[in-house]
Amino acid sequence: MERADLLPLPATWDGQYVKDESRLQLVLEHYDREQLPLRRYVGFLGVDAETAREIVQESFLRLHEHLLEGGDQTHLRGWLYRVAHNLARNAQSAFRSKKTDRLTDATPTGDLAAADVSIEEDLLARERVELFQRAMQELSAAQRECLVLRAQGLKYREIAEALNLSVSTVGENVQRGLDRLKGLL
Amino acid sequence: MTKQEHLTSGLLVKAIDAELTNAEARVVKEHLERCGECRQKYNDFRRASVAIESGLAAIPVRTQLGEREGLRQKLEARQTARQINQTPERVMWRFGWGMAVAASLALGIVMMPKHKDKTNPVEIVQETATLTNAIEVGGETFVPLPYSNPDLPVNESRIVEMQVPVSALNDIGIVLEPVSSREARSDGSVLADVLMGTDGQPLGVHIRE
Repeated sequence: MERADLLPLPATWDGQYVKDESRLQLVLEHYDREQLPLRRYVGFLGVDAETAREIVQESFLRLHEHLLEGGDQTHLRGWLYRVAHNLARNAQSAFRSKKTDRLTDATPTGDLAAADVSIEEDLLARERVELFQRAMQELSAAQRECLVLRAQGLKYREIAEALNLSVSTVGENVQRGLDRLKGLL
Repeated sequence: MTKQEHLTSGLLVKAIDAELTNAEARVVKEHLERCGECRQKYNDFRRASVAIESGLAAIPVRTQLGEREGLRQKLEARQTARQINQTPERVMWRFGWGMAVAASLALGIVMMPKHKDKTNPVEIVQETATLTNAIEVGGETFVPLPYSNPDLPVNESRIVEMQVPVSALNDIGIVLEPVSSREARSDGSVLADVLMGTDGQPLGVHIRE
């Protein structure tokens, strides 16, 4: 059904309607490009798959609100990651406050068994992830987050936006993290 | 080559990440071509970077069918709700609030501290004869205010009686002359009819005799 069938709008508001439509399309374009890396990043932060799905969807809804309210469009990827990062941190705080015993399920490796892969692939993937996880545990949280966002293809400026750090701090975290990891991976 | 002449780790990592300025990139490129030690370090950083990307990519991400469509529907629902909030009925409802705010502002003008000497009585002379665009409503002649929109429809129901300070009238361009034969109120205000426009702004003022 066409949008116009649902709500006939006066001709004077066509411009606004077109603007809103283009913002919606922009959000969907970002979704197509970013939802998987974003979900992987949220998963890396230790959020379970279902919560990660909700966080990612909520992040894009907030992006839409941000655009409808005429928000800045220059650093949308960094903005998106910052929202997702904060939502993930909030979810973790809420999760911890419940004091349940599900904490071990909230690791990125928790989803492996459910993935549609063969046993061999599963084992290899597990090994890779475990090695990666062990190595990453040697780093500070800031170094880990900077390196993971960098691995997702974000520029330093976008990482700085996402983590609320300066660009030079991001550079230092990346360099120190890599210095530490190059002997471990 | 001494240690001081080697590239820093920071520069090498930035070179991998394409975060260098053109000048820095040139220096790094030239140095790497002739320094095996730095080239080795550069390659170590690259390997570590690739290992991180592989490790991260190995974390499975499950998606469900229809997630994108679900998001689209939510976005459209929010967009529709937003547009409904801008229908003519909604705008008129907001206009009511706008009128209330305008009335408050008008009261603010009335309560505004006056700047003129209270001891000088003044009489307001409305030079309506000199105004070619005076507004006639309900048998009264209103002096149009400088920022009002003369094209708005007017009617008697939009006339509000209020005390207006003489100083406020001066501020908005109403011609006043000090006259000693009549006295304004002791607080320097006069009784006036204010004609409100449909945009919530005062259109004109008529000083009551």
